[in-house]
Amino acid sequence: MELLNRSKLKLYPRRSIKKTSIYLILFLFALVNAYPILWMMINSFKSEQEFLTNQLGFPHTFVLENYVNAWETANLGVLFGNSIFICITATLITVLFGALASFFLARFTFKMSKLVYTFFIFGMLIPIHATLVPMFILMRDLGLLDTPITLLFPYIAFHLPITIFLLTSFMKAFPKDIEESAIMDGCGVFRIFWSIILPMSRPALATVVILNFIYNWNEFSFALVLINDPAFQTLPLGLASFAGQFTTNYGAQMAGLTMSLIPIVVFYLFLEKEIVKGMTAGAVKG
Amino acid sequence: MHLLGKKGIIIIGLLPALLFYILFAIYPIIQSFYYSFMQWDGFSEMTFVGLDNFKELFQDSLFWNSVKNNIYVVIASVLGQIPIALLIALLLNRKLKGVRFFRTIGFLPVVLSTVVISLTWSLMYNSKNGMINQLLQSIGLRELAQNWLGDPQWAMIAVLVTVIWQFVGLYLIIFLAALQNVPDEVIEAAKMDGASEWATTWKITIPMIWDTIIVAIILCISGSLKTFDLIYVMTNGGPSHSTDVMALYMFQETFSQLNYGYGSAVSVFIFFFSLILIFIVTKVLGKKMI
Repeated sequence: MELLNRSKLKLYPRRSIKKTSIYLILFLFALVNAYPILWMMINSFKSEQEFLTNQLGFPHTFVLENYVNAWETANLGVLFGNSIFICITATLITVLFGALASFFLARFTFKMSKLVYTFFIFGMLIPIHATLVPMFILMRDLGLLDTPITLLFPYIAFHLPITIFLLTSFMKAFPKDIEESAIMDGCGVFRIFWSIILPMSRPALATVVILNFIYNWNEFSFALVLINDPAFQTLPLGLASFAGQFTTNYGAQMAGLTMSLIPIVVFYLFLEKEIVKGMTAGAVKG
Repeated sequence: MHLLGKKGIIIIGLLPALLFYILFAIYPIIQSFYYSFMQWDGFSEMTFVGLDNFKELFQDSLFWNSVKNNIYVVIASVLGQIPIALLIALLLNRKLKGVRFFRTIGFLPVVLSTVVISLTWSLMYNSKNGMINQLLQSIGLRELAQNWLGDPQWAMIAVLVTVIWQFVGLYLIIFLAALQNVPDEVIEAAKMDGASEWATTWKITIPMIWDTIIVAIILCISGSLKTFDLIYVMTNGGPSHSTDVMALYMFQETFSQLNYGYGSAVSVFIFFFSLILIFIVTKVLGKKMI
């Protein structure tokens, strides 16, 4: 007993030094990770004057004028509307078409099945910016530059591979006899897809919906090349051009950035587990 | 089956996805091969010039400069993101309190849009009243203040810091997941045998997640080859091309200089460069792995 106590006493200080230094490193990491975002959010409430004199502290008076300014000059309402529309529509179509293709690739055996699957998966290797120039020309020739639906096409096309990859591997794991019993009950193939396979794939569908949503919400390069008209810009593009035009209006810039961050941060805090799962799956397999 | 027969139904099911994918992902790639043999301003008639675009490309020092910068981005990402992520993951794997908190904060930048990140960091780097210079000033290191994004000497370093910052969290999560699969008994057994923590980490834990580390390195390389948005927003390749990367160079050649053929040649180069680099890395590291 005596011995045990002594060794504990001896160990304790060393342990606590170690533990403290570990926490120190972790807190430093957390600080470096979060501070840029916090700094921006806090400073978005400061007046121009205060931003120049007291940048590192909290605002003495909260100024909401920046937000009004940003909302009006950056046309944030329109940007939000466009982003939400593009994001939801592209995600729905990608997941629907992707799920349908995955269903046939996972649940049917046919000659070209492996080839078609590999062909889709190859898409994950295509460096997107290598397609910017031909995409611009293609969309121009199709008369699809600067329209409200322009961005749907590249977004759907480039996110089908990862969607199909994740859904196919999920659907392959279902037991074989599901369709058989359904066919015995007289269900058509598409009915099986819609009322049996889709509901069973819910966890994987959640992953791909989240993944698509975040990718689409954040996408910039295609928007930059294909959209010129401010009426059809998405948030990332609109914010970038706003910052380019009003380089010295820091307050409004930060207010605009903060507003565009909030939905995705809230979304992240609520669905962290699913988002992390989706994005790591997307990265590891993509 | 039914009216259409099995084949018909399969085709109908695959068609929507295939159509989108072929027309808007595969076709553009093939088109860029075609354009890369042409001289074209994007509007008037194309003229076939054979391999001239590529010849010009390989003699273009600005292009090689952008390749070099691209390789810097790759190296910085691999040497920055992977070790930091691994260190933090190893620390978090010790069943400490607050792991969830650090994970949440750690992954946050990965979720944010690159544009928002770039604009935020640009504001921080601002030479007159950016946060970094203000911070240096307030701790009495005013001499260290720089025109971070405006000085060719510092711009690339500044950009690389942001690049590293953006994706550490992704690898952190990947490593944490792998560490959770390392059975506790193995570590316990090593400790019972008197192995120090340092030795256990190097000799047991890291070899056990080696496969994951390799995957992370491959991901890191292919991911950092895609860098475009971040630099476009932060410096647009400047000052004096010090942060130019291949995709930016292609973008400028095509849309500012209206050299569609030449820009397409750069696209083709990026396409093969990425595929070949990933292929080599997979092969080289893959062999070591086993």
